[in-house]
Amino acid sequence: MARWGMVIDLDKCTGCQACTIACKEENNVPYGSPYENIRRLAPYWNKVIAASEGEYPSLNIEMIPMPCMHCDNPPCVQVCPAKATYLREDGIVVQNFRRCIGCKYCIAACPYGVRNHNYKEQEEHPYNRPDLPPDRSVMGPWPFPHRTHGVVEKCTFCFHRIDQGLKEGKRIGIDVVPACVEACPTEARFFGDLKEPNSHVSRLLATRGSFVLREEMGTRPKVHYLHK
Amino acid sequence: MPARKDRKTSKQAKEKSESLVVSRRAFLGVTAAAGAAIAASHVIKRPGIVSALSQQETTEGVITEKWVVTSCLNCPTRCATKVRVVNGKAVRIAENPLSKVSEGKLCPRSHVGLQVLYDPDRVKSPLKRTNPQKGKDVDPGWVPLSWDEALGEVTRRLKALRDRDEAHKLAVFCGLNSISNDDLIRRFADAYGTPNVVAADSLENEAEKSGQWMADGNYVHSAYDLGQTNYILAFGASVVESQKPLARNLRMWGKIRRERPNRAKVVVIDPRYSVTAAKADLWIPIKPGTDGALALAMANVIISEGLYDANFVSNWTSGFEQYKDMVLSQYAPERVAEITGVPAEVIKRIATEFAQTKPAIAWRGRGATCWPDGSYASFAIFCLNALAGSIDIPGGVIYQEYPKYKEMPVVVEDGVAEAGKAKPSLDSDRDGRAPMAGISANRVADSILKGSPYPVEVAIGCNSNFNMSAPSSSRWDEAMAKLPFYVHVGPAITEMAVFADLVLPACTFLEEWGYDHCPPGSGFAEMKIKQPAVERLYDSRPIADVVFGLAQRLGGTVAHSFDGIGDNTEGFVKYRTSAVMPWAEFRDQGVWVGTKYEFYKYDRVFKTPSKKFEFYSGNMDAVLKGSDSAGCLPCYKEAKFLGDEKTYPLMLATYAPLLDIENGNQNYPWAQEIYMVLHGQGWSNFIEMNSETAHGLGIKDGDMVWVESPFGKVKGKARVFQGIHPEVVAIANGQGHWACGRWAKGMGVSPNSILGVDYDRLSGQSAFFNTRVKVYKA
Repeated sequence: MARWGMVIDLDKCTGCQACTIACKEENNVPYGSPYENIRRLAPYWNKVIAASEGEYPSLNIEMIPMPCMHCDNPPCVQVCPAKATYLREDGIVVQNFRRCIGCKYCIAACPYGVRNHNYKEQEEHPYNRPDLPPDRSVMGPWPFPHRTHGVVEKCTFCFHRIDQGLKEGKRIGIDVVPACVEACPTEARFFGDLKEPNSHVSRLLATRGSFVLREEMGTRPKVHYLHK
Repeated sequence: MPARKDRKTSKQAKEKSESLVVSRRAFLGVTAAAGAAIAASHVIKRPGIVSALSQQETTEGVITEKWVVTSCLNCPTRCATKVRVVNGKAVRIAENPLSKVSEGKLCPRSHVGLQVLYDPDRVKSPLKRTNPQKGKDVDPGWVPLSWDEALGEVTRRLKALRDRDEAHKLAVFCGLNSISNDDLIRRFADAYGTPNVVAADSLENEAEKSGQWMADGNYVHSAYDLGQTNYILAFGASVVESQKPLARNLRMWGKIRRERPNRAKVVVIDPRYSVTAAKADLWIPIKPGTDGALALAMANVIISEGLYDANFVSNWTSGFEQYKDMVLSQYAPERVAEITGVPAEVIKRIATEFAQTKPAIAWRGRGATCWPDGSYASFAIFCLNALAGSIDIPGGVIYQEYPKYKEMPVVVEDGVAEAGKAKPSLDSDRDGRAPMAGISANRVADSILKGSPYPVEVAIGCNSNFNMSAPSSSRWDEAMAKLPFYVHVGPAITEMAVFADLVLPACTFLEEWGYDHCPPGSGFAEMKIKQPAVERLYDSRPIADVVFGLAQRLGGTVAHSFDGIGDNTEGFVKYRTSAVMPWAEFRDQGVWVGTKYEFYKYDRVFKTPSKKFEFYSGNMDAVLKGSDSAGCLPCYKEAKFLGDEKTYPLMLATYAPLLDIENGNQNYPWAQEIYMVLHGQGWSNFIEMNSETAHGLGIKDGDMVWVESPFGKVKGKARVFQGIHPEVVAIANGQGHWACGRWAKGMGVSPNSILGVDYDRLSGQSAFFNTRVKVYKA
């Protein structure tokens, strides 16, 4: 069984946010509003954040694209009282909307702030598209034609693409990648099997200096960042 | 509440499943083919969802899907795209892998195209104003009318003008249009007989062009071979935010950083810490408006240390001795350090690195050239490329090629058209002028207000929105209110459209035919198609249709000028492009790529009197008629600021963030919610100030503040941070709309509304950066 992971090269990334929009396009994630933006309630499965350090004129602002880290030791899974979120065998942390009771414990537990509560009513918002966004012939069945009100949502590593790709015998990480990886114009994002030493992601991690976010929390994230 | 809604949803699902016609087996068979063919249409059935989400609600139904190859028009890069259309609805915009310009990649603006198409605030039918009063806060009292009536009304007005031999009193405003629509609009103006085609391009880009024209005779945007360069010196150029071609720049950025053995170094010179600066290796904050001086000081270092490319300079340049004497005598790094605020040792180090790392590019952007005398700053910076020998070499300055569309027959003119075009254009009161410069757009507002050289009777605007994009935009509000008859052609009621007497709903680029090519940047030529991905929404029509329709109704020589060029919008595109690529193939592939770019064409690229690169501009000498030899050399002139330094101690800088969609509208939630990436917020822009400056003024992050210039004031939210020169206040463009729609109106402020009016003398381009302001707590 593979262990899916992502590598993001911060030297190539330009903070253009194509990943953020491509994710919304693919996964039918609703857009927010000015009010939600200020209250930090707007839902994103992937977001580029900016971290600033230093003073004028020698400051440094690092732009960091943040999908779900898909931790091997996920705090969200431990706190979920409904067993609605769990770690798949291939390392993807998924959310079962049917079981989720919307208690938001996982949102509080996640050290990366990548979980969102969907409090939007279906029909009142034009985001609800009853059609099927991604190319299913390549990517597999679309998981979220309708969204569920009152549950927690998060990045899935586009597992619908991966599952379908595996069924069709495609090479994951080469022929089939998550939407954000596909859309990245600088090719700063890589996806693949961290367990396979010859995969592109493993080779990048072996040859370049890398880090994970909040390593001290012991969450063991599977999203790795390459230094500038 | 939610329970009721859920029931409704599952009812919809049930209704859908009843219309199921294709079996699962058929689905599997067809989907294999769908992957192989672009632009093919299929009927398929969605299979049941398995695995982890098996308990979740599934919908089943008949799905027809197709991929349509077309291209984007959310900025002038015009990337090739393909659009996935499901049941007649566009659901995804993806890259066309055949495009070589951006190597099959797209910037985020392209994805926003879906929301441009499905913008709920689009105009649904032709509209007529019933309120004769025009103004910013005046309700136009729109009433719908038919296309026939609307075009009839426009024709009546246009005919009346021509009958009075006053064809020149028509002004045509162009915003961001496809190349094909632009060609048709210009042809219409030509046949009709007006010299007044006013393009938005002249607001921001002319000084860059005239700088290059002085040096090598090409009046064009400079193009750079970004993918092969080793050193980039960006003077006020936001290479990965707003410089065109954006998607190519992004792709090449990835390439020069980590896809080759040697990683290119990037130095950004900008008073503001831009996204490009954040991603660069070095950020040099510079005093605004002094980029030209810095470039000349670098030339001083390069020449005095003998680091220039002696081979190129001696064989392919002229005027080097005069240039050398000038930079050595006037631009010592120590002196320039005082002007620019950049330490002399930094200037020396950067100059040395630039000259010794080959190939290197000196890239000038809006921040360096949108100044009075911006042409000279542009010339000064461009000359650095020649010193480094980076002209027409891999990784240097290149010369863009274009597809060779089929030539259209010469326009048929009658006496009226000839007389009209012989009249002076609306900006004729300007002083100096590069012979190739277009109409200086921002002067037209004053011409309309003053009624000089003649009053404008009728104006047609195609996707233009000068009321937002031009400096001192309130002048445009007054000018537009004064126009006797204005027709706006565009998909939305933008600020400019509010002043219209008639609004004609143009469709968006995803619903029309067209051809396009990339702006300078790739070197090789690339042509892309625009074809309707979906049926036209509402009662909208392509701009090309409107032009053909008007020409037909006007009759006479105007109609004759449109004979034999395809007769309609699709036919026109076919007529112009078939010479380049067979029509069926073009429709199927969407992209035509020219031959590989050829470097070292020194015998062909220089369009100067000496047929060489000129440090002493012969072209300029011809314009000045030998009267001013200093005016033919690059130079730095201290910028004259608008506003007294004591009352207005700060300088206002504006910039375009990546998600500033350049079609004059911003009514797109995907772009709005992530607008200010460096500040982690959207739906607004900020009054960005240095923390020291803010502290001195008692302003804290998040306070509401007034920014006041001699020309007006705006109230916005202060953003106090470290990434800006202490004497500068920065405000992003693209916000502050007061029309356009629910997601644009009332978000943030428009810096253009408080800018003063000034121009680059030579090219007539607007100056954007020389307005002084003061900031105080609201």
